[in-house]
Amino acid sequence: MPPMHFSGQMMSAGIGTELIYSFVIIVCSLLIYFGTKELYELSKYRGIKYFREAFLFFAIAFFFRSFIKFLLMFFGVTRPHEFGLMHFGAVTLFIFMFAGSMAIFYLLYSMLWKKWRNSKLIYLFYLLAIIISAIVTLSSNTFLILGVFLLLLTFIIAIMVLAHKSSRNKKSNMYVIYILISLFLILNIIDILIPKLLQLYQILIYLISISLFLTIFYKVTKRIG
Amino acid sequence: MKKRGKFEIMKDILEIVQNNPNIKTTPLLRRSNLSTLRFKQYYGDLLKKGMVLEEEKKGKTVVLTEKGFKFLDKYRTILNFIEEFDL
Repeated sequence: MPPMHFSGQMMSAGIGTELIYSFVIIVCSLLIYFGTKELYELSKYRGIKYFREAFLFFAIAFFFRSFIKFLLMFFGVTRPHEFGLMHFGAVTLFIFMFAGSMAIFYLLYSMLWKKWRNSKLIYLFYLLAIIISAIVTLSSNTFLILGVFLLLLTFIIAIMVLAHKSSRNKKSNMYVIYILISLFLILNIIDILIPKLLQLYQILIYLISISLFLTIFYKVTKRIG
Repeated sequence: MKKRGKFEIMKDILEIVQNNPNIKTTPLLRRSNLSTLRFKQYYGDLLKKGMVLEEEKKGKTVVLTEKGFKFLDKYRTILNFIEEFDL
């Protein structure tokens, strides 16, 4: 049985911090998902459906993120790619990547669905998420991984800004929060894949991520009561 | 006159049913200010969603279900939520 390494480099944030961080985000996401259930069931509005799906995927992504962190500690490795492809760590990484990508895409789609009425578009997002997850799981090339996320982030920002510009509701600034949530999810993913790159800013990333989720949770509870 | 959105039309039909217990479909159509075709579309949708149901009381009458009452109660919340989150 592999030894437990609770004091390696991966533990820069501490096991307690990691647990609290994941727990807060998972609980916030699930409360948003279940709290908006009644609104969706009454309205059957597609925008609410995609918004809820996004937060379900956020909860799944952060659950697997903390699981990967635990595996890294347990096996005493610094990067998930060191698990090797045959190891179940690779499957966990794939699920984490897939859920994270789908969370971002569903958030994007909740803003876009009115403009692009084609309901098959979501399947294209599923395909994209599978491709991104496969690239990240199979390749350990830092530049390729960073390139994929840079491309993804550019795509998200461009689409969200365009969607907001053509939106009838110009007063809403939610697109800024959606962009920030996507950006910080990507930073969370990079923190797992290339830990040394963001080690100095880890606590800052955690604090901003939690603030973003709490902001959305507060806005949701304020609206639904 | 401002064009009504989908939810506003649903709310208007449900309010008519709420304020006129056991209303029949023909007066409901007249009061809803919709063409027959659009009324059938919305009315069918409300029946399918289980917000209204038809009862046999001296002919076919329309009544509001619990879900219909809930929709009226949450109507403003749903609209504000969609607007706030740009959905």
